[in-house]
Amino acid sequence: MNKYIIKVNGTPYEVEVEEVGGGRPVAAAPKPRASKPGQTAAAKSAQPQAGKAGDVAAPMPGTVLKVKVNLGDEVKKGQVLLILEAMKMENEIVAPADGKVTALTVEAGKSVTAGELMVSIA
Amino acid sequence: MSQIEKIQNLKKMKTTIAQGGGEEKIAKRHADGKLSARERIDLLFDENSFVEVDAFIESRCFDFGMQKKKLPGDGVVTGYGTVNGRKVFVASQDFTVIGGSLGEMHAKKITKVMDMALKMGAPFIAINDSGGARIEEGLDALSGYGDIFYRNTLASGVIPQISVIMGPCAGGAVYSPAITDFIFMVEKTSQMFITGPQVIKSVTGEDVSVENLGGADVHTAVSGVAHFKSSSEEECIEDIKRLLSFIPDNNVSDTVYYGVSDAADRLAESLNSIIPEESNKPYDMFDVIAEVVDDGDFFEIQSYFAQNIIIGFARMNGKSVGIVANQPKVMAGSLDMNAADKAARFVRFCDAFNIPVVSLTDVPAFLPGVAQEHNGIIRHGAKLLYAFSEATVPKINVILRKAYGGAYIAMNSKTIGADMVLAWPSAEIAVMGPDGAANIIFKKDITASENPAETRQEKIAEYRDKFSNPYVAASRGYIDDVIEPSETRKKIITALEMLDTKRENRPSKKHGNIPL
Repeated sequence: MNKYIIKVNGTPYEVEVEEVGGGRPVAAAPKPRASKPGQTAAAKSAQPQAGKAGDVAAPMPGTVLKVKVNLGDEVKKGQVLLILEAMKMENEIVAPADGKVTALTVEAGKSVTAGELMVSIA
Repeated sequence: MSQIEKIQNLKKMKTTIAQGGGEEKIAKRHADGKLSARERIDLLFDENSFVEVDAFIESRCFDFGMQKKKLPGDGVVTGYGTVNGRKVFVASQDFTVIGGSLGEMHAKKITKVMDMALKMGAPFIAINDSGGARIEEGLDALSGYGDIFYRNTLASGVIPQISVIMGPCAGGAVYSPAITDFIFMVEKTSQMFITGPQVIKSVTGEDVSVENLGGADVHTAVSGVAHFKSSSEEECIEDIKRLLSFIPDNNVSDTVYYGVSDAADRLAESLNSIIPEESNKPYDMFDVIAEVVDDGDFFEIQSYFAQNIIIGFARMNGKSVGIVANQPKVMAGSLDMNAADKAARFVRFCDAFNIPVVSLTDVPAFLPGVAQEHNGIIRHGAKLLYAFSEATVPKINVILRKAYGGAYIAMNSKTIGADMVLAWPSAEIAVMGPDGAANIIFKKDITASENPAETRQEKIAEYRDKFSNPYVAASRGYIDDVIEPSETRKKIITALEMLDTKRENRPSKKHGNIPL
């Protein structure tokens, strides 16, 4: 449906034009099941696991810039646990699942290698 | 037997075959959250559209007492029908009949519908649910796999091939899905592996559960073997239908046009402020994709694997496009081996099936590290360069922010054949990042300075102002235009319309030799 403003002798008229389906009819495209991608992105950014599920390992070598949780904190899936500076980017490292921080092996300023365990959540 | 009796007899035989392994076995499957081979077909196809082929096929094996067993359909249901009005061929293995094991005639049924799909130019879907080769049939069963792999390969790039894993898929059987274009798995009920936990235990001593070895989570997040994961078989089949809506029937047909419900010239004001002021702060690339594509509707592929790059289908002005985008939120959006593999294979699918590729670039570099080098980032990264260079479909690149070094070239740059490269004013297109570049170019100035740290910062700032922008690239024609972020959708659609008639030929050859 397209809308047009048409002026006749200076008086504007708003006109709606509907296109009558041409060609052969096609079935409607199946609709998305999930919500918009932006909303699910946080939940999906699970980091490579160091051993158990709930272990958060460094995805690449870098330096811990800020730790945003404390040992024993209850965290929600997708919550930012710490900021890892690597590849000249302040990478947000998020919780892979809901749970309690049971181990915190890094502090601000610590260098980590790829795959190194940083936080455990159980 | 009278004619009436003959017809009644036919009906009786068909009913028996349709029951597969019997009601009891099917009831047990339902209890395990699995559907029967025929129920899956019924869910996939439009009502009453499925036509079965080869229902009467029987095994020719007479060893090991096999002649006494009745194997309805020889453990697989094959045929064709329509999915949302489009012709599709299918083979659905029936686990209730001798474990869905693949024997000689079972394989012949599958290869017959594959041949038909190829001849008719329609997608082929294989629903895998099989214990593996039927050992009693020996080499005849094994050869059956070979026949299937061969046809998978011949059909590759001609018709879309989709593999659905809805049960075990072990040993040689995994290589048919692996050759096809897309693999769907269902959480907890589907597994893929070359050797199972028992063999692994006896050979290497490793203890691993079936799920941790080759379940849906492993293959969608760790190995990258599978593309989609669903929580139920019903959901999985809905996802297959959605995938089909974005892809054509074959390599010479168009994708289906469903009409447009989103204005081609819609501006997205939010994109003008999406790039953070500091270039070391991430943002979510999904937010950009959602603003650019029709109705924010993006069908992501391999969403759990190599999340530093995003791939998937969307529509722009009603037409299917393949999106390849760096994700600054994960690993700074750098390209590693997995990201390169993931994107390269997707670009090749799009090229084979004439789906234009739109890339959104924000890439700092190929990921440095000993592990990356030793595992062959050179070989893997080369695939991405090769795939973009080789593709003759319309190729559009939008550089949002970082585009540095070799990674810039690899991400659909002008020099490897992009048709239209647009950049946002925030783009930083240079041979390397300001820090590294200043260290090299102004090395003497920095070391000779009384205050090297300060001089270094000055020089970094100088380099950033001078080179970390889109205008140096624009002045050389390496990008075609610098655009306001809010107009990105409109500009891409305009470019796609311009490229609609694109024709590009490559030197005649048997095939190239992509670095594998």
